[in-house]
Amino acid sequence: MSEFVRLQKDQQINLADGGTATVIGKLGEGGQGVVYRVRLDDTGEEKALKWYFVSNFNNPRKFYDHLAENIEVGSPSSSFVWPEKLTVWNYDAPFGYVMPIMPKGYESFSKFLNAKAYFNSANAMVNAGLNMVSAFKALHYKGYNYQDLNDGNFTIDPNTGKVLICDNDNVMGHGQYSGVLGKARYMAPEVVRGDKQPDKLTDRYSLAVILFMLFIGEHPLEGQKTNVPALTNKYDKKFFGTEPLFIFDAKDKSNAPVPGLHRNAGMWKYFPSFVKEAFQKSFSQESLLSGRGRLLEEEWFNVLMRLKSSIVKCPNCGEEIFMESDRETVCNSHKVKPVGYLNFAKRSNQAVTVPIVGGAVLYDYHVNSASEDFEKIAAVIKEKPGKFGLENKTNRNWLITAPSGKTTTKQTGETLVLGANFKIDFGGGNIATVVVNS
Amino acid sequence: MDLTKVPTVRRMCPVIFLLDTSGSMDGAPIGAVNAAIEGVLPELIDMSDSNADNEIKVAIMAFDSEIRWVTGDSDLITPQELRDRWNDLDADGLTSMGEAFNELHNKLSVSHGFMKNASGSVAPVLFLLSDGEPTDDYQYGLNKLKQNNWYKVAARVAIGYGDSNDDVLREFTGNKETVLHTNNPKDLKKMIRFVAVTSSRVASQGSSSVSDDGANSPDDNTQNVATAIQAQGGALNADADEDW
Repeated sequence: MSEFVRLQKDQQINLADGGTATVIGKLGEGGQGVVYRVRLDDTGEEKALKWYFVSNFNNPRKFYDHLAENIEVGSPSSSFVWPEKLTVWNYDAPFGYVMPIMPKGYESFSKFLNAKAYFNSANAMVNAGLNMVSAFKALHYKGYNYQDLNDGNFTIDPNTGKVLICDNDNVMGHGQYSGVLGKARYMAPEVVRGDKQPDKLTDRYSLAVILFMLFIGEHPLEGQKTNVPALTNKYDKKFFGTEPLFIFDAKDKSNAPVPGLHRNAGMWKYFPSFVKEAFQKSFSQESLLSGRGRLLEEEWFNVLMRLKSSIVKCPNCGEEIFMESDRETVCNSHKVKPVGYLNFAKRSNQAVTVPIVGGAVLYDYHVNSASEDFEKIAAVIKEKPGKFGLENKTNRNWLITAPSGKTTTKQTGETLVLGANFKIDFGGGNIATVVVNS
Repeated sequence: MDLTKVPTVRRMCPVIFLLDTSGSMDGAPIGAVNAAIEGVLPELIDMSDSNADNEIKVAIMAFDSEIRWVTGDSDLITPQELRDRWNDLDADGLTSMGEAFNELHNKLSVSHGFMKNASGSVAPVLFLLSDGEPTDDYQYGLNKLKQNNWYKVAARVAIGYGDSNDDVLREFTGNKETVLHTNNPKDLKKMIRFVAVTSSRVASQGSSSVSDDGANSPDDNTQNVATAIQAQGGALNADADEDW
């Protein structure tokens, strides 16, 4: 077995591509190895070098080859802090890989959970969810699965919700297994039970856990039932494997949050019905016990887009809320309901709606069915006494048809006064209908 | 709506030090222990702050002719609290290790000890440091401790210094790979820090479960620490001027 040797400042490391890197200092240390700051000697660029405790591997060469393959196939998206170069393989000696250095301004997801970092807006928080979902969609599209998805993998910019995913060493191609099952509390129940190896489907469970913790600040399976003094592996297996129960299970309330202990559980009430339903589906007994019904990334994406467009100021009190489109939303001690909503064609079987409330925002996603851009603003809903308008912020003309058959066109910068059952064609057959609430 | 969250519910990960402060530790050895404990606290603070599953809490028992919980005998405290109130330990008296084990056994209890925590607790780290023979009936205390369920699941580590009886330490850990020995006070400081950080990391972060791990019971945190110590082989990096 090879001995782990720490690197020293100014030590030069040979890279597999023939280049060299010089150690500048240490960045951090974890259970798998040490991360150093290094300089690439040819370009002068600073990078991070992960240097493994090689004796952790049963077959170091296999892991080295796996990393080489991932470097060759390339990063699924810019959200991944992906391995770039390997150090040379030297039989029985430690090795590592070079990756980009984490930019400033990002905080670890664990810090958000420990209330040591905060999002500056609900919008930034929802963006973080959208970015996570997009990243995993890209990962799965590329034929990879993550296998060890947990809170420690994410760092987030609190102002924008931009996400970077680190520790991508265990990312595997379809049908390949790293041997790592994952981290307790984040592993899918079927993996905890030992029924299955991690794959795309188990990634989707872990992603739902991460999203739940991002929004609610509690673990989805920790409530009354799991509140025992000694949480050893035996209990972990029971609570997260053989007898898991969602704290907001639609039928069984026996694992509800414990008042005074699960103090973030109150966040649940702020979320619209469609988000609650998505979580209830993700953590239903069917999902937990037989892996069925978990949302695909694109389904989550559409749910979260709907959530993003539900962020408005309460028409009664001015407080920021997630506003339901077609039913009442409870805000503090009053209830509010929009006059109506814009209804788009479903996407991946998820409803796409925007409540008609002054300040609601439509993105490129809404006006272009091929787009997943959730930052470029396409339209805003405006309000004047007695009427609502939709301002065109795209560079295309909209064609509007009223139920009477009358049509009109709205150009960039123009505002359409919204009427019942109007059909708004944003171009490319992308049409929204103005639905009036009863 | 107010989406400002309070810290998420975390389990407690107790890290309990049993430190021999008998007369033979006086001078450089106790100095090394004091420096090591102070030095390890920032690392434990950082480790705890960046862990959303488990919160590290510490307790320190000094045992010589008497037994004393330096951190108070009602609750464990955070590494930050310990740093804010840390006072150097003095060394004097005998080595009442049996009494220390007995007292540890008493405290490893939910109903009348340290393990009461609203959100539950994971398996603790039990860290023993000694430099000599027990001067009392250590078997009496150890036998009681061995019946304790928290002891059974704990990550048990020990450091022997100088004339320590490492057989006793091995009996305490139940695993010879988690007992380290040194005769040099400089090494002692580094060793305490290394073992405390490694065992706390294993206990608080858990290792990602590995599927082809047939040999070790997943509940055996002591073996997990042994594996982690082994993996970091050369981690006790010497300065150039250091004696062997």
